[in-house]
Amino acid sequence: MIKISDLQKTYRTEEVETIALNKLSFEVKEGEFVSVMGPSGCGKSTLLNILGLLDDPDGGSFLFNGTEVAHFNERKRADLRKRNIGFVFQSFNLIDELTVFENVELPLIYLGVKGPERKQRVEVVLDKMQIMHRRNHYPQQLSGGQQQRVAVARAVVNNPKLILADEPTGNLDSSNGNEVMQLLTDLNEQGTTIIMVTHSEHDSRYSHRIIRMLDGQTVTENILI
Amino acid sequence: MFRNYLKIAFRSLARYKFISFINLFGLTIGLSCCLIILTYLVNETSYDKFNKKADRIYRITRSFNNDQGIVSLHLSAVAPPIAPLMQNDFREIEKITRLLPAGTTPVRYGDKLFNEQNVAFADSNLLGVFDIKLLKGSPRTVLSEPYTAAMTPEAAHRYFGDTDPMGKVIRLNNRINVTVTGIFSPLPPNSHFHSPILLSFSTLEDSTIVGKRELENDWGGNAFYTYLLLPEKYNARSLEARLPAFLDRHMAEPGTAANNMPSRFTKLYLQPLKDIHLRSHLDDEYEENGDINRVYIFSAIALFILIIACINYMNLSTARSSLRAKEIGIRKVSGALRTEIILQFLSESTLLSYVAMLLALGLTWLTLPMLNNLTGLNLSAVSLAKPLIITPLILTPLAVGILSGLYPAFILSSFQPSKVLKGLFKVSGGNLSLRKALVVVQFSVSIVLLISTVVIFRQLHYIQNASLGFNKDHILVMNYNEGLDKNFEGFRNALLEDPHVVSAALSSRIPSGRLLDYQDAATESGDSLRPISANIKYLKVDQDFLKTYGIPILAGRDFSRQYATDSTGFVLNAAATRALGLPHPQDLVGKSFRYGDTKGRVIGIMGDFNFESMHQAILPMILAVPGGQNSRKYSHLSIKIAGNDAAGAIAHIEAVWRRYVPEIPFEYNFLDEKFDRLYQSEQRQGSLFTTFSGIAIFIACLGLLGLSAFSISQRIKEIGVRKVLGASTKQIVQLLSADFLKLVAIAAAIACPIGWFLMHGWLQDFAYRTSISWWIFLAAGALAATVALITISVQAVRAAMSNPAKSLRSE
Repeated sequence: MIKISDLQKTYRTEEVETIALNKLSFEVKEGEFVSVMGPSGCGKSTLLNILGLLDDPDGGSFLFNGTEVAHFNERKRADLRKRNIGFVFQSFNLIDELTVFENVELPLIYLGVKGPERKQRVEVVLDKMQIMHRRNHYPQQLSGGQQQRVAVARAVVNNPKLILADEPTGNLDSSNGNEVMQLLTDLNEQGTTIIMVTHSEHDSRYSHRIIRMLDGQTVTENILI
Repeated sequence: MFRNYLKIAFRSLARYKFISFINLFGLTIGLSCCLIILTYLVNETSYDKFNKKADRIYRITRSFNNDQGIVSLHLSAVAPPIAPLMQNDFREIEKITRLLPAGTTPVRYGDKLFNEQNVAFADSNLLGVFDIKLLKGSPRTVLSEPYTAAMTPEAAHRYFGDTDPMGKVIRLNNRINVTVTGIFSPLPPNSHFHSPILLSFSTLEDSTIVGKRELENDWGGNAFYTYLLLPEKYNARSLEARLPAFLDRHMAEPGTAANNMPSRFTKLYLQPLKDIHLRSHLDDEYEENGDINRVYIFSAIALFILIIACINYMNLSTARSSLRAKEIGIRKVSGALRTEIILQFLSESTLLSYVAMLLALGLTWLTLPMLNNLTGLNLSAVSLAKPLIITPLILTPLAVGILSGLYPAFILSSFQPSKVLKGLFKVSGGNLSLRKALVVVQFSVSIVLLISTVVIFRQLHYIQNASLGFNKDHILVMNYNEGLDKNFEGFRNALLEDPHVVSAALSSRIPSGRLLDYQDAATESGDSLRPISANIKYLKVDQDFLKTYGIPILAGRDFSRQYATDSTGFVLNAAATRALGLPHPQDLVGKSFRYGDTKGRVIGIMGDFNFESMHQAILPMILAVPGGQNSRKYSHLSIKIAGNDAAGAIAHIEAVWRRYVPEIPFEYNFLDEKFDRLYQSEQRQGSLFTTFSGIAIFIACLGLLGLSAFSISQRIKEIGVRKVLGASTKQIVQLLSADFLKLVAIAAAIACPIGWFLMHGWLQDFAYRTSISWWIFLAAGALAATVALITISVQAVRAAMSNPAKSLRSE
């Protein structure tokens, strides 16, 4: 599903040049659950941003389902993203002014899904995440675990082929963290490909494979299953 | 999608109440100013357009120039023979019609007696040229017979109550009887002339009024407002080009040399009807006109106030951009395109400006009476309900929304989700400099308005307190009535019986009016008379004029009843002696002089005085007390009273007036009040500038309040650290205020030259003007800085007084 080869990304400020990704190459097959691990600053988040089409690589190739997407323009990237990719963040990133229902509804709005269908799909996914009873609450009124469930609901509401999770349990206690990991595992079992950046060895054990990174390169790949 | 935008817009408005209030309040006031000024503009530009044929109607105007071609007088009315001769010579003219204002005329019906303002003689085809609706009477015959009149329903009601006015006979000036043969609906306020009573033009053929011969031959009586109706798509300029030849054909005496033809000294012009109100400033306009420059000035002010309000929105939105960064990141991650984000923020600002427009409508409706008071206009809620206002009403908020939302929208939509969602977002420096630049723009505009306000008021103070060269206090002025002709001396002596009446004088015009009459003059040169090229204005007076007005004699003597020869004597002013190139006033005294057809001697030189408003320079002037046939026909009576018992003196004057001319209502004005009224439009301009500059500063400070609150909240940790390290409250306030005060100082530096340039231009309209002193700039800058400082201090002091432990923890 994803094949990156010699991917490069460098950040420049006036004085410093930081190489975030250094000729990185790997492949992720459809239905895989892959963890990306490594120390802070090794390029994990940069990788996730490029995989999520939020950022451009400076060089190399990025094939998504066989299509080269490394140099897509903004419109094409946004289109590919909203149809195929869901995001889960460490800090949940819910919009404070919108209710639970409205937050989850957002991707469907940008997909152009009509109102009644939106309502039905949002309700299905809220039900699945067991937060239906909180549908009219605002994010500030929810616990961290509930907020992350909403974020996961938002990530999956458009039935993406790929979910990118950036330390999804980083802001949660262990029981809430386990719940979220279980949700991701369930989604993976239903066929969704998941790439998760994490510091937690515990969480990484939910995945099929761990890619370890250092200084913008992969150092090892552990196959867990 | 749009519903989602609206939802977010409303909720974020509600969440950030303080900032929303500043934005909404500023925009509401800005839009309200615009709405008010728009109503004024629509009214000003609508003049005379109610006439369906307005595009085809032209007024004939006439200028007079000297040998060098310099125009000395340009009148909006012309001589009576011009209309019939043009109709005869230029067959393509569809209609030509004339109006002759008769001024204030005493009108009596039974025991009802009123001084009727603006009575006019009108050609019978006036109703065919202008859209004046005839409510009663026959359009074919109304105003065609001599001694007939048409009037408005209001005027008719004044005299006849509810009875039918048709066929009733009214008596004018206790001299002629006129039959009412028509009732017309009054001209709308946006007409350049108004009249409650129109008299048939043919009445003027009565030789005791004007006479048929004068109507056909008098080329000097330029008092007839003459209007042409031209055919559709007719080129008025081509007709205008043929008018010099027309004048030569009819005015030239037989045998006039080719280089001395009338068209060398006088010209006729065709002025489009629709240009009269805003673009015509001739010497004898029918009514006081508007001014296209005033329209431009107020449009600019409206626009500037709106821009100041828009800048508040831009600044506060970009300043708070960090607060919206996360939302934008999520939207982008969820698949939003940059254009969709831009659209979202534009719809947010547009929504806000529509809400502001609704509030502005309410505010305008509430403040309209106050505004009418301030401007002398008569705008009503109804005047808002015009297509010309409703269209901008709908479109302006859209424009304002886009203008103020575009910049924040571009800034906000450019955020990279990968950064903002990681909390790496920071307000960039460039962004900050633009915000500062916008604050400078706001304060520059405000300071320019402040400078203008001060200069306008200083000029008003100057012209109202400058010495006019005579004493305008305690002088009553009134229209002279020919009923006094028979025994004016008896009338005067009766007035003087009361010791509080000091003197009474007659004249053809009175100070505060215009000085337009002039004739050729010649002065002694060797043993002959040499024509004078200077234009010397003429005033017919009696022997008590100079005494009544307290005008000093510089050389020679005043007119006196003791000298029979004074009927050929002249008194000139000092400006006239200078115009003749004589260094000393006494140089002219005793010299032979010819003015018009009168040959005589200069008996005295008087001091210069401001006969006209301070807009006009003091002109060379000649006074004469004509004898014989011209001895009467004065127009005005001036009475000087002692200051200690004005009421008693006026009661006495009224009693004498009633005894001598009981048929004429007693009405008077105080001369000083007439002078004050000359500057009414400047007074209003001053009040409006005060109001608008106050509003501009207020909105700019609202923005500053929001911006400083935000910037202080960003620096709360810094303030905490500084306090822990020993900074005093004063030092903190200084630190926080300095940044903003610097901006106000830059604004003042920009505003001063602009203010000077604009007000220097404005003052050129006055022949006598105040200076623009340096302290005005200093005061305007200091005032703006003080208001800004107070605004910032509110926030700064609070931040500086707060407990540092708390502020450090809050980080």
